[in-house]
Amino acid sequence: MRFIKKTHYNQDIQLFKHRGQLFWYGALGVALLLFPLVLSEFYLGELSLVFIYAIAGIGLMLLTGYTGLVSLGHAAFLAIGAYTHAYLLAQGWPFPVSLICATLLSSLVGAIIGIPALRMTGIYLAVATLAFAIIVEQVLIHWVSVTGGFRGMAVELPSIGSLSLSDSIAFYFLCLFVLTCCLFLAMNLLRTSTGRAMTAIRDSEISAQSMGIHLAYTKTLAFGISAGFTGLAGSLLAHKIGYLAPDSFTLLTSIQLLLMVVVGGLGSLHGVIYGALFIGLLPQALALLRDTLPPVLAQIPGLEPGIFGLILVLVLIYEPQGIYGRWLKIRNYFEEFPLYRKATHKRQRSYLRTERLK
Amino acid sequence: MSLLTANNLSLAFGGVHAVDDVSFSVNKGEVFSIIGPNGAGKTTLFNLISRLYDTSAGSIHFNGQDISQVPTHRIAELGIARTFQNTELFEQETVLRNLLIGQHVHRRTNLLQEFLFLPSARQQELSFRKDVEDVIDLLDLQHYRHQVIANLPYGVRKMVEVARALCIKPSLLLLDEPSSGLNPEETEDLSFQIEDINQEVGTTIIMVEHDMNLVSRTSTRVMALADGKLVAVGSPAEIQQHPEVLKAYLGE
Repeated sequence: MRFIKKTHYNQDIQLFKHRGQLFWYGALGVALLLFPLVLSEFYLGELSLVFIYAIAGIGLMLLTGYTGLVSLGHAAFLAIGAYTHAYLLAQGWPFPVSLICATLLSSLVGAIIGIPALRMTGIYLAVATLAFAIIVEQVLIHWVSVTGGFRGMAVELPSIGSLSLSDSIAFYFLCLFVLTCCLFLAMNLLRTSTGRAMTAIRDSEISAQSMGIHLAYTKTLAFGISAGFTGLAGSLLAHKIGYLAPDSFTLLTSIQLLLMVVVGGLGSLHGVIYGALFIGLLPQALALLRDTLPPVLAQIPGLEPGIFGLILVLVLIYEPQGIYGRWLKIRNYFEEFPLYRKATHKRQRSYLRTERLK
Repeated sequence: MSLLTANNLSLAFGGVHAVDDVSFSVNKGEVFSIIGPNGAGKTTLFNLISRLYDTSAGSIHFNGQDISQVPTHRIAELGIARTFQNTELFEQETVLRNLLIGQHVHRRTNLLQEFLFLPSARQQELSFRKDVEDVIDLLDLQHYRHQVIANLPYGVRKMVEVARALCIKPSLLLLDEPSSGLNPEETEDLSFQIEDINQEVGTTIIMVEHDMNLVSRTSTRVMALADGKLVAVGSPAEIQQHPEVLKAYLGE
């Protein structure tokens, strides 16, 4: 076990709590920087996709995992980011400016969507966001002059000035860089007042209000921030898929995003990364698995979604806190090795809560 | 010098008059207890003061300002903090973060400063932390600092909720049945802590409480309610002898 002697409040505030953490995250960072030397283009591409999913996941995690607002329409923000970015690039805007504008526009739309969604929670909010996603999908189909309608639109290759970012190594580093920045921003948000106000709303709106937290403002803000991150991911995704069409951003994409944060572990940024790895790499792993199966099994149609769904159900039944929750338990087991008590993580019945006032 | 004044305060849910034409005033520095049988309207009165309910008639003045139209989230800024009868903490968070949420009203940073964690944000976090630590010391919560609320026993939760309310640095603290669910020792501790909060920190306290022992030990004045109506106001000894109060509790 590790005991940290604390001599300054800064120790509770800093991002890396002790040297061990710094070492391991440093090692991970170095490994990520060295991957292009050892991995093939295909795997670099897959990892870039995982990074993009993770960026979108940060957005959804802030909204669903930290503010407690469920969204089934995040594919719409992905689409808004992607299309805006592609459109602005086609108009000749420089890459970084276009990226930032796409992020800000998604964020703005998110905040506007957040306003009517203020009075809704839980399943009602999920349905409302779902409706929004369908509206956006229809807009993508019918606003032909901008989106190209069903025909779709090609995305220009990314480049900053004369530096091309289109080959897989450069794109990998671009995604890695953006993801790192996003994680940094999200962690900062969560260790300051606004982030705490968001978690307060998740756990009890009544007492959040009594603590002086403006519910409407904070929820709108959470929607805006969330949509911003997801829109940013969308604009990177545009380059990844190369050609935008309305069917790249369907309900299934929204559900995948939601599954990602749930399977990873709600209420933790680690969970986002685990979830992104799960969503991003599992289909590939399943495809590889199919090659090794005997033909009778391998030819079953819909094998991949089936296994995908099965794993999901198992995770939800046996580990509602997601992959990150399971990891914490395993780590806890080894830290307290001979003394580990099974009941430590047993879910307890919660005490009576004040009757809901509104 | 009165800190809070309620004039002809009423609240009706349809035909039920939960609070019916109640007027009282609380002086600065007092511990003012509200007693009454179940359903007397004590908690409703708290919900009116903390603006979770809108008044049907009458007004509430705090520090000379009419607060009966103020939005709910502005109440904490004005200096009124409250606890809830069955605790309403942020369950998934640690004690420390719960208390830091209590500091929200003292926030001076904007979103950009927070996103980038600029020095101003760090300074603010450090000063929040120092103030939180003062409250932790006052209420002896040092053991629980990094524990998640969901794992804490009920008595500790009640104290954490008081601590969280104190982090607002309120001039008026509303305690809704602080001793319910506490064992005799914890109730004993509570009476000292109420005294500390009142005398050392200088916070005026309004308390809804059933434990008459605790009430008479801590309170300056007591108000008795029954069926939403005011029965009597006076010193704890007076109220315990008051014939109307006895009637309300025991019947004719």
